[in-house]
Amino acid sequence: MEDYHKPDQQTVQALRNIANRLRINSIKATTAVGNGHPTSCCSVAEIMSVLFFHTMKYRPDDHKNPNNDRFILSKGHAAPVLYSVWVEIGFLKESELMSMCQVDSTLEGHPTPKQQFVDVATGSLGQGLGVACGMAYTAKYFDKSSYHVYCLLGDGEMSEGAVWEAMAFASYYQLDNLLAILDINRLGQSDPAPLQHHVEKYQRRCEAFGWHAIIVDGHSVEELCKAMSQPRHQPTAIIAKTIKGKGIPVAEDKMGWHGKVLSKDMAESVMRDIQSRILNSNKRMYPASPIEDAPPVSLRNVRMPSAPNYKPGEKIATCKAYGMAVAKLGRYNERVVAMDVDTKNFTCSEIFKNEHPNRFIECYSAEQNMVSVATGCAARERNIVFASGLATFFTRAYDQLRMAAISDSNINLCGSHCGLSDGEDGPAHMGLEDMAIFRAIPTATIFYPSDAVSTEKAVELAANTKGVCYVRTTRPETAIIYNSNEDFHVGQAKVVCQSKEDQVTVIGAGMTLHEALAAAEQLKKERIHIRVIDPFTIKPLDAKTIIDHVRSTRGRVITVEDHYYEGGLGEAVCSAIVNEPGFTFQRLAVAHVPRSGKMSDLFKIYGIDRDSIAQLVRKMLSSSANAK
Amino acid sequence: MEFYHKPDEKTLQALKDIANKLRIHSIKETCASNSGHPTSCCSAAELMSVLFFHTMRYKANDPRNPSNDRFILSKGHAAPILYAAWAEAGFIKESELLNLRKIDSDLEGHPTPKLAFVDVATGSLGQGLGAACGMAYTGKYFDKASYRVYCMMGDGECSEGSVWEAMAFASYYKLDNLVAILDVNRLGQSEAAPLQHNMDTYKERCKAFGFNTYVVDGHDVEELCKALWHAEQTKGKPTAIVAKTFKGKGLKGIEDQDNWHGKPMPKDRAEELINDLLSQIQSPNKPLHPQLPNEDVALADLTPIRLLTAPEYKIGDKMSTRKAYGVALKKMGDASPRVVAMDGDTKNSTFSDIFKKAHPDRFIECFIAEQNMVSVAIGCATRDRTVSFASAFAAFFARAYDHIRMAAISQSNVNLVGSHCGVSIGEDGPSQMALEDLAMFRAIPTCTVFYPSDGVSTERAVELAANTKGICFIRTSRPDTAVIYDAGEKFEVGKAKVVRQSDKDQVTIIGAGVTLHEALAAHDQLAKEGVNIRVIDPFTIKPLDASTIVASARATGGKVITVEDHYKDGGLGEAVLSALGEEPGIVVHRLAVSCVPRSGKPQELLDMFGISAKSIVAAVRRTFAN
Repeated sequence: MEDYHKPDQQTVQALRNIANRLRINSIKATTAVGNGHPTSCCSVAEIMSVLFFHTMKYRPDDHKNPNNDRFILSKGHAAPVLYSVWVEIGFLKESELMSMCQVDSTLEGHPTPKQQFVDVATGSLGQGLGVACGMAYTAKYFDKSSYHVYCLLGDGEMSEGAVWEAMAFASYYQLDNLLAILDINRLGQSDPAPLQHHVEKYQRRCEAFGWHAIIVDGHSVEELCKAMSQPRHQPTAIIAKTIKGKGIPVAEDKMGWHGKVLSKDMAESVMRDIQSRILNSNKRMYPASPIEDAPPVSLRNVRMPSAPNYKPGEKIATCKAYGMAVAKLGRYNERVVAMDVDTKNFTCSEIFKNEHPNRFIECYSAEQNMVSVATGCAARERNIVFASGLATFFTRAYDQLRMAAISDSNINLCGSHCGLSDGEDGPAHMGLEDMAIFRAIPTATIFYPSDAVSTEKAVELAANTKGVCYVRTTRPETAIIYNSNEDFHVGQAKVVCQSKEDQVTVIGAGMTLHEALAAAEQLKKERIHIRVIDPFTIKPLDAKTIIDHVRSTRGRVITVEDHYYEGGLGEAVCSAIVNEPGFTFQRLAVAHVPRSGKMSDLFKIYGIDRDSIAQLVRKMLSSSANAK
Repeated sequence: MEFYHKPDEKTLQALKDIANKLRIHSIKETCASNSGHPTSCCSAAELMSVLFFHTMRYKANDPRNPSNDRFILSKGHAAPILYAAWAEAGFIKESELLNLRKIDSDLEGHPTPKLAFVDVATGSLGQGLGAACGMAYTGKYFDKASYRVYCMMGDGECSEGSVWEAMAFASYYKLDNLVAILDVNRLGQSEAAPLQHNMDTYKERCKAFGFNTYVVDGHDVEELCKALWHAEQTKGKPTAIVAKTFKGKGLKGIEDQDNWHGKPMPKDRAEELINDLLSQIQSPNKPLHPQLPNEDVALADLTPIRLLTAPEYKIGDKMSTRKAYGVALKKMGDASPRVVAMDGDTKNSTFSDIFKKAHPDRFIECFIAEQNMVSVAIGCATRDRTVSFASAFAAFFARAYDHIRMAAISQSNVNLVGSHCGVSIGEDGPSQMALEDLAMFRAIPTCTVFYPSDGVSTERAVELAANTKGICFIRTSRPDTAVIYDAGEKFEVGKAKVVRQSDKDQVTIIGAGVTLHEALAAHDQLAKEGVNIRVIDPFTIKPLDASTIVASARATGGKVITVEDHYKDGGLGEAVLSALGEEPGIVVHRLAVSCVPRSGKPQELLDMFGISAKSIVAAVRRTFAN
């Protein structure tokens, strides 16, 4: 065994004492507030003690220091033990802990970045390791620094496929700075976890996924110290056999105690019992300081070096413009990184890869993990991340996206091949619900650019916009409609076509904007004039511009979108113009599960093409004429 | 113990010939459509030939026969070879193959159940094995029948976590009637798959996840016959056949080369490639017929499933709708043996454990793997074998949204039940709160969304869901709330209830679940001040009862307030706006959660995020102020 110095007895005892104090505080806090998972805390007490007071290197007074080792509590329901660690360190007061989960406390039921020491929110199981992969990848390949990443997982969450996506990713990229600790406490919420205490099965699975896996007694401080001190040449999993509720005699290894708090009396007697095991040791434990070798990074004011270089009338797909824009942004900003899920030749992120191969991460067909890796790379403001895939496959990662919002994450996502414009591949590949799901993310900004110029602007704006940014791109080539020097802002629509005689306002985006423009040409021959608006961002939507223009077309407005009726552009406009008196609003969208076919045929069948728009305009005008 | 008999040389040659015929069809189909994935078909040609003309037992003229072996093409982009196999089996005309991907043909780019031989749509990778698990579980434990389930996967999709969720499930439940075939053709879409041709690693992973595993040469029909025979003899374990193959096998200059994913053969080369394949076919007219199945499965009894007794709640009783779900599901289980249930290790929170206690043989614990649970539920519901109800925290259906989206394309009749919606769960905090689930499910075209507000309506929602086609989602809540409907009350999909009304109502309030109860509290409070409001329970959010809402809105001077425990986007409020559409003179105010919430007591959070009785009262007063 290389270089392993067994900790002295005093240290061992001090770590045991800390573990028991963590137990006491976890029990005390959960009983005080009548909520939480004390038994899930007790199984990890020794693990947390050894990690935070023996293994990890960090500055306890400077949580966001880029040189610190990172820690992710993937089993977020054990939050009280994490908070207890920070009480032990002295960062939190015990009184704060005793009011956790209350409406005025920043210590929530599951960890959120309202606490400085939390990088990403957890609580939806199986997501921590993917985020840890993003952090470890950043450390090893982007920061080229010596900090390590530690992730504590529960055994229940090992059933989540996302964990195995992350396992495969970590070994593929040889993340030897990543350590996962598996708390195998046997019991899940409503049943034992499927593999119970078969630690050798966990070991075999980890090894098959390319990890070094060490089985330890998770309550033995010595074994934990030893396992965590081993030199690492590949990602390492410590498979810790533990007892759920360890230290609480009535609950130890018993079903029916998940998420249950102890009564006051029981808590007191248990805490007395645990207290009696804390042996006199004057040794105070301090974490070791990190090596200061992480480079300084500034992500502020990331700008394009020059204006877009497209000419009006030129034809280019917005998905291609996306790839070119991210590559261009990366040219002058070395912390711009990109990733994809083996679709880089479709999303055109390969343009970035070809130009900046060291800043591109191929995540293979694992969308959940890609979003987690993106979140991990963006944590502590280390990188500006652009992650791309087919729009519809972000549905695969919707739980991760939901959690990214709770994590206050600043990630940028690009979904290509939206809508029917995917044509012959059929409905499995058509993104027709992506706007609905991104609109329902409170921190999201949704860009839906309609030409290459606005796509380039969208990418630049996304890089500088907080929260989750989503750029929806399209496969077919479309004409450039904006001048290179056109100014774009989040929440600012463009009026693409207008005249004084306009009678109806039509709002489209992407392909449907071009259909609307074609409809406008068609109708002009009949002396019907329509105003065409490009919203640019669907969230936030430029309600003011829309309302002003609809008013000047006598309240008549039509939306047309390559998306299902629910939750997309139409409903967004509906929300924006509600309560405006005298408006007449009609919507065109996809109403059913579509099918394979040529895009032009599909646009006709599902009624979002130029003819359908023109027809609806005529109908609207004739019915308002009849009303008179 | 039986011994393996090697098929005779003639049969082996015929299987080889069929493989090459399938290749030729795949090339012709994709040339005709000028799109598609012929190279992904060619790697699987021998696998398909042996499965369809040697191993599987089915009636080629009756693909949906319940006794047939099941086949799922998880790598859905290889659809042309699936269509080719059914052409060779005689179910579809060879000439029809040339209509691949055309607007008027059911031979779509990826398989969908418009075709009788497709049970579930594929094309979003990594979902086939989970559905196969549901079918195999049904075959083994519910139907107790001899049909077997074969799932063909690509190597690229083995990066999807859902594949490993399914692997763990299959071995845990000892699905020895399930065979996963991995077509390890090395190349993905934009580059090589991460494990390339590292067959040992695939083998170790499959074995570690509890599969009986064979590594074979995927182009050797004899090896495939043998491995598939051994699979059938293996008891207590599912089998994985890890087949080393070459993408574009049999296509000179294209085989095992990069940049051929999803590209049809160039027109000028197709003929030469086809001739080359033709020259290898020795007996073009030797027909092989699939073996017939054991007919040991009865047709599904499709009579509607009705509760045997009316709900047993009294007005004013307090209970949560999640608990009412468990009680209702148990009663539906009493009413029909076809009702089955599953959960993601949350059964004591969703109360599906009430069903489990009464019908342990019809409950599947799926552990913490929501994607797989949804796939299993879909698999169980195929060919109408079961009526499946899958439950979990509503927030965690976000994890399975791609699977739910695909379920719509699969025309699945699966029922999903999400508990713990909204901020009203309290202290556990935002990670556990579903605030986007209505938006998600509304954007599923085939979906019916139930949002019951008391025990009686929950029980009726469960009964209706069991008999409603398409995906049904039932949203349940954690807090105890009062029963507001008489046990005899009738409920229908798309029919709202007016819960409070008078001749003098001045505003219509629409709430559901906890916010309906907040609206009722607001009603009582305002009534004391002499202000009457009308309160509507929509019951189903999709379809929404537009006519009742419009009528009420008109009756209350056009003033409407919606209040929901959900984000503002895509939920009840927007559904109401959409329904009111063109109605003139209506003013709608929406109360909803507008930012990421936090931990706290339920009532405090309802107040803090502006969806409590207090907020409703304030909103009603504001409407008069304006």
